[in-house]
Amino acid sequence: MTTTTTAPSTGAAGTAPAGAAAVPPKRNNLPTARYTMAQMRRSAGRLTAAGIAILIGTAFVAVTLLAGNVITRTTYDTIAARFADADVLVTTSGSDWRQDVEAVRGTDGVTAAEPVRSAYLNLGDGSAYAYAEGIARPQDDRLMPLELTSGKWPSERGEIAVPDGIAERLGVGVGDEIDIYRWVQTDAETGDGEEVAEPVRVVGVTEDPYDAYAVSGGAVVATAADIEEWGEEPVPGEAFEIAAVLAPSALSGDEPTQAVRDALAAAVVSDGEHAAQTVDERAREISAERTGGEDLVFLVFVLTFAAVALLVAGLVIANTFQVLVAQRTRTLALLRCIGAGRGQLYRSVLLEAAVLGVLASLGGVVVGVLLAQTALFVAPQFDIGVPLPATVTITPQVVLIPLAVGTFVTLVAALAPARNATRVAPLAALRPAETLSVRKGAGRARAVFSALATIGGFALVALGVFLGMNDAVQFGLAATVLGGAISLVGIIIGTVFWLPKVAALLGAIVARTGPASRLAAANTLRNPRRTSATATALLIGVTLIMTMTTGAAAARQTADSTLDETFPVDIMVMSGSGSVPPSAVDTIAGVDAVADVAELYSADAELPDGEYLYLQGADVEDLRATVNDAPALDGLEPGTVLLTEGQMEELDVAEGDTLDVTGTGEAVPLTVVRTDSVGLTGFVGLGDLRQIDPDAMFSQVWASLVPDVDAADALADVQQAMSDDGVMVTGPAAQRAQFEQVINVMLGIVVGLLAVAVVIAVIGVANTLSLSVIERRRESATLRAIGLGKSQLRGMLAVEGMLIAGVGAVLGIVLGLVYGWTGALTALSIMGGVSLTVPWLDLGVVLVVAIIAGLVASVAPARSALKASPVEALGAE
Amino acid sequence: MDTTVYVPVDGTRAVRARDLTKTYGSGEAAVHALAGVDVDFAAGEFTAIMGPSGSGKSTLMHLLAGLDTATSGQAFVGTTDVTALNDSALTKLRRDRVGFVFQQFNLLPMFTAEQNITLPVELAGGTVDRQWFGTLVETLGLTERLTHRPAEMSGGQQQRVAIARALIAQPDVVFADEPTGNLDSRSGAEVLSFLRRSVRELGRTIIMVTHDPAAAAYADRVVLLADGRIAGDISDPTPESALAGLDALRTLEPNVSTGTTPVVPGAGAR
Repeated sequence: MTTTTTAPSTGAAGTAPAGAAAVPPKRNNLPTARYTMAQMRRSAGRLTAAGIAILIGTAFVAVTLLAGNVITRTTYDTIAARFADADVLVTTSGSDWRQDVEAVRGTDGVTAAEPVRSAYLNLGDGSAYAYAEGIARPQDDRLMPLELTSGKWPSERGEIAVPDGIAERLGVGVGDEIDIYRWVQTDAETGDGEEVAEPVRVVGVTEDPYDAYAVSGGAVVATAADIEEWGEEPVPGEAFEIAAVLAPSALSGDEPTQAVRDALAAAVVSDGEHAAQTVDERAREISAERTGGEDLVFLVFVLTFAAVALLVAGLVIANTFQVLVAQRTRTLALLRCIGAGRGQLYRSVLLEAAVLGVLASLGGVVVGVLLAQTALFVAPQFDIGVPLPATVTITPQVVLIPLAVGTFVTLVAALAPARNATRVAPLAALRPAETLSVRKGAGRARAVFSALATIGGFALVALGVFLGMNDAVQFGLAATVLGGAISLVGIIIGTVFWLPKVAALLGAIVARTGPASRLAAANTLRNPRRTSATATALLIGVTLIMTMTTGAAAARQTADSTLDETFPVDIMVMSGSGSVPPSAVDTIAGVDAVADVAELYSADAELPDGEYLYLQGADVEDLRATVNDAPALDGLEPGTVLLTEGQMEELDVAEGDTLDVTGTGEAVPLTVVRTDSVGLTGFVGLGDLRQIDPDAMFSQVWASLVPDVDAADALADVQQAMSDDGVMVTGPAAQRAQFEQVINVMLGIVVGLLAVAVVIAVIGVANTLSLSVIERRRESATLRAIGLGKSQLRGMLAVEGMLIAGVGAVLGIVLGLVYGWTGALTALSIMGGVSLTVPWLDLGVVLVVAIIAGLVASVAPARSALKASPVEALGAE
Repeated sequence: MDTTVYVPVDGTRAVRARDLTKTYGSGEAAVHALAGVDVDFAAGEFTAIMGPSGSGKSTLMHLLAGLDTATSGQAFVGTTDVTALNDSALTKLRRDRVGFVFQQFNLLPMFTAEQNITLPVELAGGTVDRQWFGTLVETLGLTERLTHRPAEMSGGQQQRVAIARALIAQPDVVFADEPTGNLDSRSGAEVLSFLRRSVRELGRTIIMVTHDPAAAAYADRVVLLADGRIAGDISDPTPESALAGLDALRTLEPNVSTGTTPVVPGAGAR
């Protein structure tokens, strides 16, 4: 202390003592800076936790930016690799691309040129299938990005070279024949067509050393003629590329000469814009185009969570500085007494924040780079199918943005505490230490703003829900999200008014468990502002996590009921190609888990007005036994057809109307009966269907399951039994599992990102406790002197930590439920009735994690509290 | 008021020190805060420990109360050797058998007077003896203040609450460290007379550390300490006799340190 107080006195030398405090002393920042540094050294331990909060936040930002760079770079590399050794790329509108290619080939200095063309192919041998991009074998191998591992390049039509991955998957090698499935238009007028299987011969197997086609699963090489036939004409408006290799004479260094560029530009026949670019220029342009949307969305999405983390870190910083200023009140007052101006104290606190912010942010950048590099190092060990660079690219943005953001957040967070520092009266130095406190209470403006934001926000949420329930989902969601954000801001600003009351309530319950708990509860309420700020930091993360889990639970429930409507039965077996083998019925019925089966036949029928109707027919009794909701079939009898309301609207008929339906057989009049099940629309009795189309196709087998068997297992059993027949087995269980997976993955990512904010908040709890412990050193010693045991002291701090964390968690859970439900009502009402459930398991996990976090947060502070010997209670200072 | 119950048998030693030594540092830099102290404190007596600054009076109290560890020697509360106790045994000792009154009062700001008084019993997991509580509150004149928090009370009132807190568990001995150091003379006198009443009427044992002869005059006996050694003993002190004793100590000081502490050549230099 002696060293720190002498520093400013040199700056204030010559000014009168206490009375002249209002007169600003000489403007000299040096003593302030020296004082600040000395003060920081003294408080190093107390600032560390706050620094870590900022460090995590900035590391988050740095990793996000690095990941963005990786995405851009991967895209660029992939694009550049496709052009192989091309020296120049001529981009035209493609309106006369054949002439363009010839013109480029004929240009002086061009040794080879090839149009960049591709076709999407479906390869298969009847049991296994693969989709792949097909590319033409260039006339010059320098333009081929792939390399042969065996066989030869295709040289005649009907020959292909396949990537090693696809060769393995389809189990083919050089010399084998496989089919290429293509949809061929047979009638240009109606757009009708059919799928044809064209046999081709595998003549080579390739590898992709530069990962040019790694993203699309490899490329199949065929002759230019085949690719031209299999592919589609260039789409007008999309750039058409011609890759060309130049003679050395046309190159200056690696660049095409201006002369050859001009010549190429002049040679282009196609109308519209055209350009001659290097591969580098072109790849840069495409990757900017292609990822412009994607990586921006990615960055905005992830940076939103980084912003939440930084907001929480800001709260922790604000809290820390608030406490530090309170603890230094006496020193600050003393400085004022000996002539320090308000501005000097203000600048001193801000300087401290700036130094902390810069150091912590630099640490964050380093940690972020290390994390990203570790991820790149580890990632190739998992087969993620995307080529990744080996090292991160550290651009100026990766360093400067987190540094600026982290320092800015720290500075902003320190503004209010800095203002408080200037409010310390010089007189405070003379008062006894016990009664010192920084201004308490909260302003009226804050109360009004908080109330307006909260009420206004929730009104907007209510509007959103109303819109969502009335099918205006997009506007509804916008209103709900905006309202939710506004109300959350209002609630966070207003926590200081009501959060302590909740803490008091919880504290009163906890206090019954013993004297240590009673002390803890009382301690928690001593400084409502600090408790609120600490709990709020946790509340933000918990609220967002709970909103997501509640929303996900509602989505799951709603999806379940929607799936039940879409899938009228437990299991459906259908063929990809059309008809199901007749033996399928017995095979399926033979599976243990299957209870009843029904054979479904289908036919296309024509209505009098020329519309087509897809009809399905089955034995009504069989059907009744297999569907989940038998009463849904009540109207189905000879002479009726089931239609959903939507389809009735489409066909312009009403319930009870009669439709004359014609197939290959005779016309049959059918009475329209309404059904609510999408899966049952177009159903007729088997007898009627046979009359309409005597050759109706055996299209599906429906099966119901024995009660209480696991649907997913049963599905697997049926799939197993039918594996040889090339049929598709689906059911709500499979769909549900898929849907569940999508929801879980999304939820996992979001919760993972939000967890960073929670970790920072927990550091905040530990920090607040540590600072309180330092503040209450004498008190702890007194308690020890009058008989508080070590374990009781530890217990007291544990309860304090758990109480603060518990309050934040409980309120966060309540808010999260409200936001999750309103969000679900807005977004999902369009899918039908939304079931608002309480995800008890998630709720329990969140609460337990928060309370354990509070407990863990108390460990370090308790250790320091125990260092206080009872003797300290007796000391004068 | 029934006071007979609390009067212990005359002549019992509540607290004893035997060759108690406390040395800070080692070698050349060693400072002997206590250089072998032998002293007995009678039960049911109000004893003041006096001495100039640095005489070791606070160190003596810390060691007697088991707040600090002795370098050598023994300190007894009743028959318990507090220098041999571990932390949890010391905690138990402080809970049940020793009370403290501090110069800074050290009340918990968030608790009322009553909650502050009963805290030690609650920490020990016991139940408050309401009759004893009533007696204490009445003796200390706190009946009207029980619902007040420390911030709402004067220094004198706060110190009386602290005395009640120290006595609530009916400890064998109460240690008071400069209990009037933070009070004006009127409040100080009030607190001291309450301490004396606690001994005379409630049969308590109080050992008070002070440097104020006027405060020491409230005690039954004054033990004088200088340079870590017992330097005198005054029975039934008056302010004048206490001051005289202290003055004698000051004038004697060079003689004492040169004459009687050959083993501690540096002691007088402080």
